[in-house]
Amino acid sequence: MHYLEQQVSIAPLVVFRIVFGLLMLFSTIRYLSMGWVESQLIAPKLHFSYFGFGWVQPLPGAWMYFVFGLLIVTAIAITLGAYYRLTTVLFFVCFTYVELIDITYYLNHYYFVSITAFLLIFVPANRLFSWDVKRRPEISQIKVSKWCIGIFKLQIAIVYICAGLAKINYDWLIKALPLSIWLPAKTSIPLIGWVFKYKLTAYLFSWLGMFFDTLVVFGLMWKKTRWFAYISVVLFHTVTGILFQIGVFPLVMILVVTIFFSSNLHEQLLNRLNVMLGGGVLFSTSKEKHVLTPHQVNRKILYFSLALFFTFQVLFPWRYLLYPGNVFWTEEGYRFAWRVMLMEKAGTATFYVKDGAEGREGAVVNCQFLNMHQEKQMAMQPDLILQFAHYLEEHFRSNGMHDPKVRAEVQVTLNARPSRMLIDPSVDLTQIKDGWARKDWIIPFSKTLN
Amino acid sequence: MQPSDMNRNSKYRILIFLPLTLLLWLTSCDEDGSTNELDFDRKFMLTSLADGLIIPNFESLQTSVDNLSDATDDFIANPNEQELLLLREAWVLAVLDYQHCSAFGFGPANLPLGPFSTVLAVFPVDESQIALNIENPDFNLIASFDRDVRGFYTVEYLIYGKEQTAEEIVLGFDQHRKDYLALIVLELKSIVDQIVTEWKGSYRSEFIDNEGTSAGSSISLLFNAFVKDYENIKNFKVELPAGLTAGQSNADPTLVEAYYSGISAELLQVHFTNIINIWSGKTREGQDLVSFEEYLSVVVGGDELVTQTRAAILDIERAISSLPAGELSANIEDDAVKNLRDVLQANTANFKSSMSSLLGISITYSSGDGD
Repeated sequence: MHYLEQQVSIAPLVVFRIVFGLLMLFSTIRYLSMGWVESQLIAPKLHFSYFGFGWVQPLPGAWMYFVFGLLIVTAIAITLGAYYRLTTVLFFVCFTYVELIDITYYLNHYYFVSITAFLLIFVPANRLFSWDVKRRPEISQIKVSKWCIGIFKLQIAIVYICAGLAKINYDWLIKALPLSIWLPAKTSIPLIGWVFKYKLTAYLFSWLGMFFDTLVVFGLMWKKTRWFAYISVVLFHTVTGILFQIGVFPLVMILVVTIFFSSNLHEQLLNRLNVMLGGGVLFSTSKEKHVLTPHQVNRKILYFSLALFFTFQVLFPWRYLLYPGNVFWTEEGYRFAWRVMLMEKAGTATFYVKDGAEGREGAVVNCQFLNMHQEKQMAMQPDLILQFAHYLEEHFRSNGMHDPKVRAEVQVTLNARPSRMLIDPSVDLTQIKDGWARKDWIIPFSKTLN
Repeated sequence: MQPSDMNRNSKYRILIFLPLTLLLWLTSCDEDGSTNELDFDRKFMLTSLADGLIIPNFESLQTSVDNLSDATDDFIANPNEQELLLLREAWVLAVLDYQHCSAFGFGPANLPLGPFSTVLAVFPVDESQIALNIENPDFNLIASFDRDVRGFYTVEYLIYGKEQTAEEIVLGFDQHRKDYLALIVLELKSIVDQIVTEWKGSYRSEFIDNEGTSAGSSISLLFNAFVKDYENIKNFKVELPAGLTAGQSNADPTLVEAYYSGISAELLQVHFTNIINIWSGKTREGQDLVSFEEYLSVVVGGDELVTQTRAAILDIERAISSLPAGELSANIEDDAVKNLRDVLQANTANFKSSMSSLLGISITYSSGDGD
């Protein structure tokens, strides 16, 4: 307990708040400018939901833009540290809401942003260099309990280490897959492109990537290796950012890991920023050193919640071990486990509907219901295949069928292996409910990895 | 140099050489027997396809649409049975040439209303709307967004009619009908001319230079259009008329392509020939080009997919040639049609998901899961 409450400089937390706010501002504007609010959220006829979150639906018409307006305003407010508690809560709610609308857009870094926004609600990142302190100088503080910064480091550590451990598998290390597929497709990148035609490069990247993800946090924690580790963070994410279509993710990681740097550096940074802004503008030098010490009862609740939260964070990625079979194939326990850019998987799913056992069977034209991205994601993930089957059941029932039966032929290729049937093509999917239980209608990836 | 230094040096050397050796060993003992260097010239492939297939096919289409336009003028000037037959001949040649282009609905062929095939080759046409348009003196084709009142199959409807003799058709061609026909053919001609002009202008080099594999690259555009075109054969030329689409309770022979002229099966066969030409890299005359098949043969797992796809293509060719003689619409419930659907379906994954996966082609702009 004492360790967690050691008083340390607030500067890293304040810089983290500013950096996070700016990143979110940038990524929200980017999302808007790509036209994704329309194409990903408003236009689709149906959305694939997260298990248990089917009730999360997009708002009608222009109201989605209102949510994005709120995201922009709250991201700015977080950057400035204005009405901090309210704006962090609002940001977290809006961001998570948008994220939950359609699971086909699931990205690990959206999940990371949600978690970070959630954790920010509970730390006093607005107690220095902020609009709130400008309004009420009496709340300013220059020290915070160590846990306030530690939770972010711990969360980042979980992300990298899980991502690294997930890379320790036969395909990734011994066959350099999927990088042996992805890199040769990138030979037209200027200057460095020629490197990617060599198989050796895929192997080097696979192994370096595994070591980088697993170890980089330790390098960041230790003062002597910190700069080296940070340079490798910048290099690693820049290279993957150039190579792959992964949006703002590289920028997010390059900027948020700065929280590992010393308080000194962050204080210097804030001082410089303060000077740049004309001095004292958003920076209070209240003499009163107001240190928050949580109430005895609050403290117990706080530590209990933190312990619970991080136990979940540490354990949840490993739930896949409770399922038989290959997690890449079944995807049972695949998401929310920091498996990033880990496999090349693609499928073609054809659905057949008939009315009752004796009805005439007909094939579904997926693109009449789904956009290309949704179709691509759905066609390789069993739970989404099931959701679409249930949607089709409802669709054809409301079109006059009495007892729609839906089955699907799904051919999937995983890491360049020949396509094989993912699920039992004879199973009537309308009879199956999604859940945590193992999906016995998935055809096992029985052949040992070869 | 102190002995201890030497020790340290050799230790570091081991630290460097051990992983390197391990990597070299891993790369060398790859059991696929594939080479350690993958050097495929995508630019060469794009050049080959642009100059050997896409541009020549569009040029042929341009020529035959020109002839169609001339035949239309002749028929309008002298509406008699002989001119009608000449016009029909010109139409058949044009629509056959179109089958060699339908897969190239990107770049200049991606019109404001969508890929040109969704504008110029929609079937079935809306007979009653066409009748209304013909009688409407204020009808403006440019302002109309209806896809099923224009293009090749509207021309077909006008010149073949529905259960009408040639004589009846000629007699029925009043001035309004002539005007409408001229309007539709003019639109066809101007769109095809525009596409050819752009391909022969700046688009050729734009296409060839955009040699990456990301969303929006030429390979990605071509791939998406190719797969879509292939799926159209199965979904709309076979399944829908045969009543094999979800929700249909019976077959509907009027939904075949080219219902009025009855050349559906021939068009289907030519259409699939173009699919093979694109995949395997062949000009219309059968000369070798570089395309997906050759690209696949150099990537991990590609040989197996090539073998599988070749076999599937043979199945489809066999299924097409064993379609019953006579008009497809008359035999739409024949088992051979269902068999064709099944073999088309069996090959869909080869083209759609396996190929893009092995080649690392991004098919959409959405962000992937970072690293």
